Amino acid sequence: MRNKRTFLFAGLVLGLALIFGITTGAMAGDIRIGVAAPFTGNLASYGDNIKAGVNLKLKEINDAGGINGQKVELVWGDDLCQPKDAGTVGAKFAADKSIVAVIGHLCSSATLAAMPIYVRAGLPALSPTSTNPTIGDVGKGWFFRNCYTDDFQGKYLANYVVPKLLGKNKVAIFYENNDYAIGLKDSFMAGAKAGGVNVTGVEAYMTGTTDFTPQLTKLLRDNPETIFLCGYHPEGALIAGQGRKLGFTGPLFGADGIDNEDYIKIGGKAADNTYCTVPFLAASASPAGKEFAEQYKKTYGRDVDWMSANAYDCLGILAQVIAKTGPDREKIRDGLAAIDSEANGYTGVTGLTYFDKKGDCSKPAFVKVVKDGKFVAAK
Amino acid sequence: MGKLRLQNLTRGGKIRIGLLALALILPFFPFVTDYVLHIAILVLLYMILALGLNIVPGFNGLLDLGYVGFYGIGAYTSGLLTYHFGLSFWVIIPLAFMNGALWGILLGAPTLRLTGDYFAIVTFGFSELVVLFLTNEIWLTRGPLGLPGIDVVSIDLTLFGGPKWEFIGELPYYYLAIVMVLVTVFVMYRIQDSRLGRAWFAIRDDEVAAVSCGINLLAYKVIAFAISAAFGAVGGSFFARWVTFLSPDMFKFWESFLILCMIVLGGMGNIWGVMIGALVLVSLSEVLREILPLLGMPVNVRFLAFGLIMVLMMRFRPAGMMPIAAVAAQMRAGRVKRKKVKPAVGMKK
Amino acid sequence: MLLQQLVNGLTIGGIYAMIAVGYTMIYGVIQLINFAHGEIYMLGAFFAITFISFLGLPFYVAFLVAMACCAVCGVLLDIVAYRPLRQSPRLAALITAIGMSIFLQNLAMIIWGSRPKPFPHGALPAYFEKTAVTFGGVNLSWFHLFIFTITIVMMVGLNLIIKKTRWGKAMRAVAQNKTMAALTGINVNRVISYTFALAGALGGAAGIMVGAFYNSIFPTMGYVAGVKAFAAAVLGGIGSVPGAMLGGVVLGVAEALGAGYLSSLYRDGISYAVMIIVIILIPAGLFGKVLKETKKSM
Repeated sequence: MRNKRTFLFAGLVLGLALIFGITTGAMAGDIRIGVAAPFTGNLASYGDNIKAGVNLKLKEINDAGGINGQKVELVWGDDLCQPKDAGTVGAKFAADKSIVAVIGHLCSSATLAAMPIYVRAGLPALSPTSTNPTIGDVGKGWFFRNCYTDDFQGKYLANYVVPKLLGKNKVAIFYENNDYAIGLKDSFMAGAKAGGVNVTGVEAYMTGTTDFTPQLTKLLRDNPETIFLCGYHPEGALIAGQGRKLGFTGPLFGADGIDNEDYIKIGGKAADNTYCTVPFLAASASPAGKEFAEQYKKTYGRDVDWMSANAYDCLGILAQVIAKTGPDREKIRDGLAAIDSEANGYTGVTGLTYFDKKGDCSKPAFVKVVKDGKFVAAK
Repeated sequence: MGKLRLQNLTRGGKIRIGLLALALILPFFPFVTDYVLHIAILVLLYMILALGLNIVPGFNGLLDLGYVGFYGIGAYTSGLLTYHFGLSFWVIIPLAFMNGALWGILLGAPTLRLTGDYFAIVTFGFSELVVLFLTNEIWLTRGPLGLPGIDVVSIDLTLFGGPKWEFIGELPYYYLAIVMVLVTVFVMYRIQDSRLGRAWFAIRDDEVAAVSCGINLLAYKVIAFAISAAFGAVGGSFFARWVTFLSPDMFKFWESFLILCMIVLGGMGNIWGVMIGALVLVSLSEVLREILPLLGMPVNVRFLAFGLIMVLMMRFRPAGMMPIAAVAAQMRAGRVKRKKVKPAVGMKK
Repeated sequence: MLLQQLVNGLTIGGIYAMIAVGYTMIYGVIQLINFAHGEIYMLGAFFAITFISFLGLPFYVAFLVAMACCAVCGVLLDIVAYRPLRQSPRLAALITAIGMSIFLQNLAMIIWGSRPKPFPHGALPAYFEKTAVTFGGVNLSWFHLFIFTITIVMMVGLNLIIKKTRWGKAMRAVAQNKTMAALTGINVNRVISYTFALAGALGGAAGIMVGAFYNSIFPTMGYVAGVKAFAAAVLGGIGSVPGAMLGGVVLGVAEALGAGYLSSLYRDGISYAVMIIVIILIPAGLFGKVLKETKKSM
């Protein structure tokens, strides 16, 4: 009994010492910025995109000598896109006083869980991808994002993509039961109602489902002209495949959650003729954006996606602000809040970014379509 | 507990008092940041949960796989009551306790007559249904959108003309958690030494013998389950008011498994073993989270390790690292070679 | 639409049936819910795509080889995890089963990554996609027919094995009473291993078919499928192989109809609810016998 106890205690002390050591082992002299995203788990591909974009900008900054002579160091926080882990990552970042800002989180639910911690600690967070409209309220001035909100995306889909781009009127909505998709579905339906688009049916599915045939059968009974894949790409790809098998031949569409190479990989032929809105499209971007897309392709060997582009710009915005205000959390927050109009907006690869009082920004949306197994710009 | 003089305490008792003192002054050490306190509070929370779960497999020998269901019910009850009615935390605790107990009785009464395997599966199904309910009934729980903005705990003496003191930061929660753990441990000890506890151990040891002593099997099992559920709910209420954000996917089966792991590791039925199990596993979890990326290994290794721990523990130390006699005798029942362990009831098995 | 939903249900149901018989056979011989069975199903799918991608094996060959590997995995599972605990209280074995399940899931995540993988392009015979039969507005592709055929063949085959062969008889004997079976000269451990092999092979086959049909393979696919299949086994009466088959089909159809006509969000809940209700109200299920509590002080 005694041996076991001493063994356990020894292990404990060692473990606790490790935690202390790791968290307090910050090096002075570097500007440290936290990056929070799922780097493992089934949404790890999104985290990879963020990493790719941020690392590209990091190299640029540090090669040019850093910010006012100080190098920038990134601290990675893996939140698995889960609120609970986001809370732990948030606590870690907030407690580490050498971290002056956070790029993140990726998933809206993770951001919602971590924001109260950042607000309490006074740590500004700039998200490249969280699109849930309510985050601005929870953020209380410490939250900023350089992507559009689901509010905007849903309405854009309903008012432009479906009637004008696709030329269709009858839509079946198949949404994922999570915070991202529910917000998207609600704003789409509001837009559809106002714009006269006919919603023939609405079905929901749980994340992780693989068999959608019962719900699809039900939706197809009402003869929709197009199906709204309102969710993330793993399920979206399966829905596309099963929908085609059940005989649906019309176009499919979705939002930024569908924008991922895996959608085409898993959907195969069925993925063709799928449209999706994205915040960034290399083909329609500014010269700076096109150059970024080329550099990205050269460095990573794959096509650039909007998450990488937004993350790249996030670090760019922070670098610009820190150059003026220095590595101080509150000053950085004030600096970000000062980017409040077109005049003082930040011009990056994703276009012009400036924030409103809730930290939201308005960005245009672009549309991609899958043709012959590749994403191309839709016209 | 007898005379509480320093000399009269056993060696174990002295260690425990020492630990308690250490815990009380921990926040004042220089290297202890809010992050460390956050982890410490997590440890304390899991201690409460583990102590609650300990009743069922530890004292009663049944496998409850649905514990996270009660945890979730408690958390959402607390969160919703606070969100809609602004109830004080101190009022919610007893409410959560009773709600948890109620659900324990509702689930336990029809299912505790079943054999161990069926009971395990039914509890598992129950917790999955709870998660589905929490996710889908958006009108009640806001489902996947989550429940943000739950008030923090506060001590409100405005009724008596005093100040209102809100819990800001990790420090007040840390002390609150310590108090809750102490209360839980105290209750567990009292139960263990009471007629209730002894009846449980009798049932665990040999049901037929227990029945012939006049013990109403079902009633005692249901009470055990209800108390276990009640503590799960209390843990959940604390959790809701601490993280101030709830979302249904915080209450998946994995939590049940993790808490089970703590009990298995520490020693089923052993109050202190279970607490140490909680401490070790939560710390290990966080340490691994830091180290694994440095070693280039994916985070999944953490979960893999826990699964492996369970298997190895059952193979080599089924009664845990700090076993208690009654459980040890029973868990090693098949291994006739072990002669060191004294059977609990003094009879040869 | 009803017809289409029935076809949907029968397809899913057949898969559940194949996994469910695995659960029920193992429970029959060692009275243990093999939580890790769902993981064998998952491994089957992964083995298949690994063999096709890395060894270039054609589909049918990879199918059989993967099934064989799953059989081996099943046996290993028993030898490594369950056999040492044969005499231990049930609680220990259950915990081990759960631990193995979590272990295998994460092992798969580490080996193959946690992102869903598609079935290798062009691995499946081309005609699988084509429609074979049409009736009542429903298209059945060759793939559908393939799944139905394999399911039925395996079920019939399993029944023959259990009823007509010596091994089958030995399995039934061990399921009825281990001690007596041993006394009649049956090598109980060998029979149990054989059962695990059969269960593993069937589970693996189910996994490959699901992986190919839905074109999405990921490490946690065994988790939910496993629980639902267990619900099916319970519904049919745990310990009864025909019961498990019927339970699987019934559950699949119920799920399809429920998701199609009632609520698609509670789709998984249907299985859990069925399981709980059946266990509480009719523990013997449709075909099973109520198993007496083995007096191991639990």
